[in-house]
Amino acid sequence: MSDTTQTLPKAGKTLSGGRIDLLIAALLLAMAIAAPFVIESRYMMGQLILGLFWASVAVQWNLLFGYAGVFSLGQMAVFAVGGYATAMLAYYLDLNIFLAIAAGAVIATVFSALVGLACLRLQGVYVALLTYAIAQVIYLLIVTDTNCFEMVGTTCRQFTGGATGFARFGDFGMRAILKGDWIKGNYAIVLGCFVLSMLVSWIILHGPMGLAFKALRDNQAYAVARGINRFHTQLLVFGLSAFFTGMTGGLYATHFQAIGPGIFSISSLLFILAIAVVGGVGTFWGPVVGTIVLMVADELMREVGSFRSIGLGLIIAFAVVALPRGLVGRFSDIFHKHKS
Amino acid sequence: MDILIAIITTGLTNGALYALATIGLSLVWGSMGMLNMAHGALLALGGYAVFSVATTLGLPVWLAVLAAAGAGALAGVILYICVVRSLIRTAGKNFETSVMIATVGISISLQNALLQVYGGQPLKQPFGVSGAFRIGDSVVPWLNVVIILVSVVVMLGLALLISRTRMGRAIRATAQNREAALLMGVAVERTYLQVLALSGAVAGICGVLVSSVTQLSPTLGADPMLKAFIMCVVAGLGNLPGAVAAAFGLAMIEAGVQFGMGARWGFPVLLMLVIAILIWRPNGLFGRAQIRRM
Repeated sequence: MSDTTQTLPKAGKTLSGGRIDLLIAALLLAMAIAAPFVIESRYMMGQLILGLFWASVAVQWNLLFGYAGVFSLGQMAVFAVGGYATAMLAYYLDLNIFLAIAAGAVIATVFSALVGLACLRLQGVYVALLTYAIAQVIYLLIVTDTNCFEMVGTTCRQFTGGATGFARFGDFGMRAILKGDWIKGNYAIVLGCFVLSMLVSWIILHGPMGLAFKALRDNQAYAVARGINRFHTQLLVFGLSAFFTGMTGGLYATHFQAIGPGIFSISSLLFILAIAVVGGVGTFWGPVVGTIVLMVADELMREVGSFRSIGLGLIIAFAVVALPRGLVGRFSDIFHKHKS
Repeated sequence: MDILIAIITTGLTNGALYALATIGLSLVWGSMGMLNMAHGALLALGGYAVFSVATTLGLPVWLAVLAAAGAGALAGVILYICVVRSLIRTAGKNFETSVMIATVGISISLQNALLQVYGGQPLKQPFGVSGAFRIGDSVVPWLNVVIILVSVVVMLGLALLISRTRMGRAIRATAQNREAALLMGVAVERTYLQVLALSGAVAGICGVLVSSVTQLSPTLGADPMLKAFIMCVVAGLGNLPGAVAAAFGLAMIEAGVQFGMGARWGFPVLLMLVIAILIWRPNGLFGRAQIRRM
């Protein structure tokens, strides 16, 4: 009911909406490019890179849930598949790390498309539970893997890395080029990939495919009756969001030079959810804003140490109750009210 | 033969625990369309309530179990007043997912609050029965029998409450059709409050039983809750008798797989079974297809 009144005026002003997006993008990009020249501390640069990882995954999750209405709890599993594939290809086959990341993204896409196939007949919460179950199966099988695949020195290494995961399988090669400033090189690579993923997402969302996603989200039966192929659309959105999520996973593994089963933990999934919810589900800039707000809040709460998780949980609950469309949704409501 | 008895004992005990966790979850889902992700945290709350009342205050254990049920119910009431009530009013068709995310947040906070109060080291639970009896050559602990009995009693009590009392009739009416119940004069908001309190109380007792088998830790509810989700989904969300049947059935399968293929495979096999069931029957084994209006 309220949805139609909110989307209708927007549809008439796509041009100005596009201009606003361009303005925000330019502003954010300028800040992001300026950051490494202003910030000296390596810790801060590390946090910025981490923020880009979170934002990237949240943007892709938002594509799935906010635009296509698929409530998936398997997002971190897709991320982990990308990371693990990258690490394993580089570790076992000595593949060039950039090739490995690309291959990881493709593997994550295939994996996610299969999950999407399994979810095709399900609705709402059932999708959430199925994706969560799949993520848990993978996690449990990795953690409980004790069969020796090869011996490294005196310790036994499992094919999946077991409970410890993989480490030291290669890096971006920035240490060799930039020496002490290697983290800035990593930042440039991660930022470049993030911008690419945002660009592709924007183009798709503003094309016919994006309209199909939204139509299926808003009223599935009606959308199908108007000739939207649910099978193709859902597989496409699963695959698309997985490609960039998997790529981010690969970048994450390479940046930290480690990947382990901890990445499946519910807390990292929750952080993604929190980012999207606080920023605004179904808004393009929501996940970016959410990442900035939550990273800053997280940094401030570092002072109180152990109360951090309590605070994070309360922020999530509060945001859902008080800001149904997130910070960005709230801002755009105020903005539109002033205009009219 | 010994293995068979061991499988049946484990299967029945776990089945009873899962069933108890599942009906709390399924009750809330069936009547409110709300998936309570904080259910596991309520289980932990119940376990710690018993510890506080019995071990710290030194009161008798039966009183402590009641206190656990009370703490769970109170948490349910608070959850309703602070979160669910306003979400029902504002979220509209996004209620299903909004409430899921919000309760996830509550769950993290509650678990970490327990961690702050009681510390991270696992604590010993005061509720327990020692000793065992023998069937042939195999040993069956009395604790398992007590767990099965307590859960059956709680489930029977809940079934009576829902089928025989005025409150139960209001709950069933609301579950069947919220608008119609509202028009017939059912105070739907009060019914929701009662449902969450009931579910919280059952979760509290379930937490006591779960922690008597393992130990007390803030995350003790996570595993039973995950399994409870699975049972709910297999049965079709909101179907109480189906949920109980699924809980016992799947617990038996899990125990069988654990004895047959090793403990590692128990849960993954269960999950893969569930994935297969969901693909085959998208609304669960006993669930009916929902007809959604445009």
